[in-house]
Amino acid sequence: MVMADRYNRQIALWGKESQEKLEGAAVLIAGVGGLGAAVAELLTRAGVGQLTLVDHGRVDWPDLNRQLLYCEADIGRSKLQIAERQLRRINSRVKINLLEQQIDPSFICPTEISTVADCLDNYVSRFHLEANLPDETYLVHGGIEANQGQVITLQKGTSQPLADIFTGVQQPRGEIPVNGPGAAIIAGYMANELLNTILGKPQLLDRFLIVGLGDLHLDFLDV
Amino acid sequence: MITVQFYSLIRLLLKQEKVELPAIGDETVGQLIHRVQKQIPTPFIHKLLDDQGKLLLGTIIMVNRRNIHHLKKLQTPVKDGDVVAFFPPGAGG
Repeated sequence: MVMADRYNRQIALWGKESQEKLEGAAVLIAGVGGLGAAVAELLTRAGVGQLTLVDHGRVDWPDLNRQLLYCEADIGRSKLQIAERQLRRINSRVKINLLEQQIDPSFICPTEISTVADCLDNYVSRFHLEANLPDETYLVHGGIEANQGQVITLQKGTSQPLADIFTGVQQPRGEIPVNGPGAAIIAGYMANELLNTILGKPQLLDRFLIVGLGDLHLDFLDV
Repeated sequence: MITVQFYSLIRLLLKQEKVELPAIGDETVGQLIHRVQKQIPTPFIHKLLDDQGKLLLGTIIMVNRRNIHHLKKLQTPVKDGDVVAFFPPGAGG
């Protein structure tokens, strides 16, 4: 086997044409924490051509139970810098762009992006992100809290805005309880949906997948 | 019938996915919540409403896919065939 064979196992699943689509895709990952770090790693391993990572945080001890790209030696360092280093080690063919900033009303989405992963940890930033996406952009939203999580795909300009769906929901005070397996499960669903979306077959368009992480139930909620 | 669906933590609390109730004339979401509570032994209204009966900010209530904040909030009418959902989303990432 040589490096060119690195995608053999997944090409056997979805074919060469789909692999080429992935290699031509540009995805923005907003938030590189519990969900975003795992999503970034999975898309990097899958060979998505270009990832733009957005975050402004530094690695801290409470991150290490679930944020898969970081380790003890990274404490206090820029998450994006560490994420970039780790992702390049995993797959040097993927182009990694870094936007070290908060997502606020001035956020500008790079023009080449067609699919966005909302891996943020608060509603205000989520709504700013969505508001600043161009029409037709696909937004794959994920959220997690304690023993529950959800994933949905929305298309800007066509779907109900996330801000409308979540109107009236308030950010919980204090730290949000979350563990490593839960974050990995929701991130796995998000990465799967991002790949589906890039390949033109979103499975959760205007449809929440709601995951009970404690009792392992799955529900759908159409919006 | 009106179908009321419970999601995530509400579902875990109530240990059931949904309840179906016959429609009655001129009922609102606020009234429906109290009627659902009478059908279910586990108290859950405190997850949706405060002591003054106003909407709390942790759970989305949807009628036919629309957040009631964009309809008439607790005064949103419900009728036969409607699907009402209580969904407290996860906020973290």
